[in-house]
Amino acid sequence: MQSASIFRSKVLARERISFETRHKDRMGLIFISPWLIGLLLFNLAPILISLILSFTDFHLLTPEQAQFTGISNYTAILRDMDAGKTFWQTIRLGLMVVPLQIIASVFFAGLLNDQRLLMKNTMRTLFFLPSIIPAFSAALMWQGYVNPATGWLNRILLNPLGLGWLNHFSSRGASESLFILSSLWTIGPSILIMLGAMQGIQPEIYEAARMDGAEALTRFFKITLPLITSAVFFILILNLTAVLGGAILLDRGNTFRFTFSSYDSYVNAVLFRLFNLGYASSLAWVFFVFAMTVVLILFVTSKHWVYYPDREA
Amino acid sequence: MNKLLPVQIKRLLKVLPFNLFVWFLLMLYLSPVFFMMVTAMMPTAQLGDKNAPLYPARIKQYEYEGKEYQIYNVPLDGETKPMVLVVPGRESSQLLDPEHPENGLIEWQGRWRDLVGVYEFHFTWENFTVLFRSLPFLQMLRNTFFLTLVGELGVLASSILVAYGFSRFRLPGGNLLFYVLIATILIPDKVTFIPKFFIYVSLLHWRGTVYPVLLHLFFGNAVYIFLLRQNFKSIPVELEEAAMLDGAGPLRRLFMVVLPQSWPVVITVSLLHFFYTWNETRLSSLYLGTDPNLMPISFGVQNYQSLIRIDNVIEASTIVVLIVPLIVLFLAQKYFMQGLVITGTETAK
Repeated sequence: MQSASIFRSKVLARERISFETRHKDRMGLIFISPWLIGLLLFNLAPILISLILSFTDFHLLTPEQAQFTGISNYTAILRDMDAGKTFWQTIRLGLMVVPLQIIASVFFAGLLNDQRLLMKNTMRTLFFLPSIIPAFSAALMWQGYVNPATGWLNRILLNPLGLGWLNHFSSRGASESLFILSSLWTIGPSILIMLGAMQGIQPEIYEAARMDGAEALTRFFKITLPLITSAVFFILILNLTAVLGGAILLDRGNTFRFTFSSYDSYVNAVLFRLFNLGYASSLAWVFFVFAMTVVLILFVTSKHWVYYPDREA
Repeated sequence: MNKLLPVQIKRLLKVLPFNLFVWFLLMLYLSPVFFMMVTAMMPTAQLGDKNAPLYPARIKQYEYEGKEYQIYNVPLDGETKPMVLVVPGRESSQLLDPEHPENGLIEWQGRWRDLVGVYEFHFTWENFTVLFRSLPFLQMLRNTFFLTLVGELGVLASSILVAYGFSRFRLPGGNLLFYVLIATILIPDKVTFIPKFFIYVSLLHWRGTVYPVLLHLFFGNAVYIFLLRQNFKSIPVELEEAAMLDGAGPLRRLFMVVLPQSWPVVITVSLLHFFYTWNETRLSSLYLGTDPNLMPISFGVQNYQSLIRIDNVIEASTIVVLIVPLIVLFLAQKYFMQGLVITGTETAK
């Protein structure tokens, strides 16, 4: 009985959505045509060209001498120690940065969405603020901040706690932990997305849970978290793409010398110092295939843990 | 009123611990920003000095025989006294007691470099004036405003049209094109970048023009299209149906019905793009960096920062770049801070 009514409402909804579309497929195509043209010009064509380039020894200064070299670029990558090293470095940092960013943005969004918070908009803006600082300036700022002798990290936080020894110029993980720490400064948009998801949860659900005597923590883990998994998934994908060198939700202008991915800097070095477009293309393609595989796996597994409110309606 | 007040205070007290915790967290989170602001006002002499206080300061000065000397805390006869360092030497120095200058110079055995100065609060605008002398800020600002204006127009117009197309029309291939749209977000930049670089520079000779920086914006941005589309989806179709019965075509419905309901997300997207343009350095370093008439403020300042390695000037330049985005962020916070909706359902009222 119930399923029949759900079915009926679904049919109705579908009819409503397509209230005029039956014969007007073309209208939709016209609307999205700018993007279709851009897709062709700025995505598909370049991807194809770089695939072709990756099988050549194309050099920027001597394009006329370019020849097909088969898979020799790809076999060269297998022997290339720098490529392997920077590849793993990028992945290792990604594995540390992305979970941290997700946990922090859920946590911050939870705080900023709390009823008890005063001056909500101002507080949210202040938490967003670091995300608009140019990447290069932010990096320099952090360098000064963590300087063991004069920076504030030691003088305000670590030394009073007797933990000054944690942060040395010479300590091996120092620059890496700096990088991981400063990745928390890019999560402004992620916080906003989490906030958007949390605000979409009906207050009645919390009310009911409170009536049943659920504690704040229980409410968070049993209600909030399961209901915002689609936002978590979106953030996971976006932050992962950012680490892997794709689109960044709020790009703050990374340079070629200073990128968050060491693999990117290696590709850029091959490109701008050696002008070896062929080899750079094959490096890029290896990573492209890797990144797409990871994302595809995530999308496939997402069925089991991501809740989409719009699919249920 | 008298009855109300205690209730309000009671409520305030109830939420106070939570707010104090959030403020504490915020202070911690923003402490590098405070570090930047303070450093930007520091005199250069303070920079490497690990004994200097955290606020902008300098060692106290003392005038003796027409010249300025610095005052240090010196251990003398078992107690530490502020003394004027007149003639510094490696193993022994000549000091003056600022309280009894008539006693003349005293010989002191010890390394003066181990002494800690007597500091006083002292800030300087010097770092900013250095900047304005060495960088053409007006020109760079003009360039950035131009890029922002044209880019915003292009990317907003195209992304809104495309997002409307994705949200309201049945497209050939069903959802396939939408999945392709999402896939383009995930493509690593480097794989498309190499051919584009070659085509722009070697074939079209577009180095030193704004085309490589602006052109692609007129074809929409996948992330923005996605955000706009999800929001358009959450607007009830009934409103448009009513407009359609009145004979409004799709463009009219977009502008008269959908857009007026979507200001928060449109503002959010335009802000995201504004911040992006303001900080963009990759494309401008490649295509605009060579021409001072085109150089935007982001790249100009970054270039300067990588050449000059003096912390206080660097932090001052960061503040200068940040001023405009900061004002914009605070002006738009009412819309911007509503949260970004990505699920595309009708949200609860």
